[in-house]
Amino acid sequence: MTRSLPDRSGDRAARISALPMEMTSARIPFFASGLPTVREIWRRRELVGLLVRRELRARYKGSSLGIVWSLIKPLVQLLVYYLAIGQILGAARSIPSFAIFVFIGLTTWTLATEIITSGTRSIVDNAGLVKKVTLPREIFPLAAVGSALVNLGIQFIVLLAAMIAIGQFPLSWGALWLFPSLLLIVTFSSAIGLLLSAVNVYLRDIQHLVEVVLIVAFWTSPIVYAYSFVSTLQLGWLLQVYLLNPITLGVLGMQRALWVAGAGVPGAFPPHLGQRILIAFVISAVLLWVSHRIFQKLQGNFAQEL
Amino acid sequence: MAAPDIVRIEGVSKRFVLLRDKSVKERLLNVSASRANREEFWALRDIDLNISAGTTVGLVGHNGSGKSTLLKLVGGIMQPTSGSVSRRGRLAALLELGAGFHPDLTGRENVYLNAALLGLSRKETRASFDQIVDFSGVETFIDTAVKFYSSGMYVRLAFAVAVHVDPDLLLVDEVLAVGDEAFQEKCLEKIREFQREGRTIVLVSHAAKQVEDLCDRVAVLHHGALIFDGGAAEGIQVLRSQTDDTV
Repeated sequence: MTRSLPDRSGDRAARISALPMEMTSARIPFFASGLPTVREIWRRRELVGLLVRRELRARYKGSSLGIVWSLIKPLVQLLVYYLAIGQILGAARSIPSFAIFVFIGLTTWTLATEIITSGTRSIVDNAGLVKKVTLPREIFPLAAVGSALVNLGIQFIVLLAAMIAIGQFPLSWGALWLFPSLLLIVTFSSAIGLLLSAVNVYLRDIQHLVEVVLIVAFWTSPIVYAYSFVSTLQLGWLLQVYLLNPITLGVLGMQRALWVAGAGVPGAFPPHLGQRILIAFVISAVLLWVSHRIFQKLQGNFAQEL
Repeated sequence: MAAPDIVRIEGVSKRFVLLRDKSVKERLLNVSASRANREEFWALRDIDLNISAGTTVGLVGHNGSGKSTLLKLVGGIMQPTSGSVSRRGRLAALLELGAGFHPDLTGRENVYLNAALLGLSRKETRASFDQIVDFSGVETFIDTAVKFYSSGMYVRLAFAVAVHVDPDLLLVDEVLAVGDEAFQEKCLEKIREFQREGRTIVLVSHAAKQVEDLCDRVAVLHHGALIFDGGAAEGIQVLRSQTDDTV
C-alpha cells in the first residue's frame, strides 16, 4: 500500500496517539453523576435542535394548515370544557375569567403529557437510529421535551393575545411564578419520560398504559375545576396527597402567575404554594437523576431489543 | 514511530438471548416456562483484536459469523457481554446508509440532520455542503423531499454525507455496493483517498475481490470465533477454504 501523503497521515497518527483510549463498554457504576453524558449532549445540542425541527416539520408536512393544527386541538378542547363544564355544569359562575383559567391549565397539562407520552415513545420510534448510529440515546427523549416546549410557545402566543384582548394582562411580580412552575413541570415530566422511554423498549405495553393513566391523571389536577372546589370538600389528609402531585403544583403555579382574576378569589391557592413547588422541584430533580441512571443501565441492550 | 492503536478489542464475547414471547401476560403467567423459552446464542466468543491507526481492516466471514455484531461493538452501539472495547478519535459508522433520513424532509434538510447525527456541527456542514451535494450528484433534487428520490439517489446522498464527516475511524458495513458502476468507482476512490490520509477503515464485506484490493489486513470470523488475522490475500484463502469445508 503506497502512502503518497506521509505528512498528513503522520500528523493524524501523532494526534491519535495523544488521545486517551475510551472504553465503549465501560460498566458505569449506578451511583455516578451522569455528568459526562450531560457534557456529551451539550456538545451535540445542535443535533437536538435539528431533531426537534424534524419532528415538527415532519408532523405537519403536507397538511395545508401546518403548525396551526397544534393550536386547533387545545382550542377545541377549551371550547368543549368552557361550554360543558363552565356553562352547562356551571363552574364558570364561581371561577372568574373561566376561559383563561381553563386555557392556562390546558396548556400546562399539554406540556406535561406531551413530554411524557412522546418521551416514552421516543426510543422505540427512533429504533432505526438507535440501532445504527452512535450517539447518546438521551437525545431522543430530550428532543421530545424540545418539541413539547415549542408547542407550548405557540399556545402561549394565543393565551397572551386572549389576555390582552380582555384586558387582564398579568403585569405584576406575580407573573414570575411562571418560571418555577414551568421548571417543575419540565423536570418532573422529563424524569418520567426518560425512565419510561427506556422501559418501553423492553415492555411495549408501557406506551399504552401511560395514555390510560394520563386520562385519569387529567382529573387529579385543577384544570377544568378550581382548587377551591377541592379544598372545601373536607378531605383531610387526602388533600395533602392531592397536593403532592408535581403536575398539580405546576398547574397551580401557572394559574398563580397568569390568572389575573383569580388573585381576588379567597382560597384559590393552597397555603405555602412556593415551598411546595420548591420541595416538589427538588424531588423531581432527584427523580430525574435516578431515571437517568436507570436509563444508562438499560440502554446497553437497546440495539438488540429493538 | 509505530502507528498507535486506534481500537483495542480484548477478550470480547457477545451473547444474545432470544425470547420467543414478548407479551406481559405470557411473562407473568409462565414465569417458569419463560426460562424454557430462552435461547442463548453466542454471536462472538473471546475476540482479541488491535487495530492500529492508518490501516484498513476487512472483517470477513459467512452469514451469521458475527462480523456486523463486532462492528457494532466497535461503534459502541452494542455492549459486549464480557471483555472490553476501547477506541479513540472521531468515529463515523456507516452501518446503514441514510439511517437518519426522514422521507418527508428535503435533501438539504436531511444532509444537515444526518451530518449532525454523525457528529458534525452546523458550521462544518455548511462548509462542506457544496462538496457533499457535488459528490452525490443530486444537485437538481436537493430541495425535493427524499421520499421522491430513487433508491440510487437516496444512498448516494447518504454516502456523500458520511464520507465528508472527516472521521479518524470509519466503520463500513456492506454499503459500498451502492449506486451505479461510476458511483461505486467514486466511492472506492474516496476510500483510497482516506487511506492515503491515514484514516483507519474497518470494513465488513462479502465481496472478496474488493476486500483483497482495499485491505491491508483481514480478520476472518467463523461462528463467532476469530480464526484468522493477517494479510489480505491469505485471509481470503482462509475464507474460501471455509466455504469448502462447510458446503
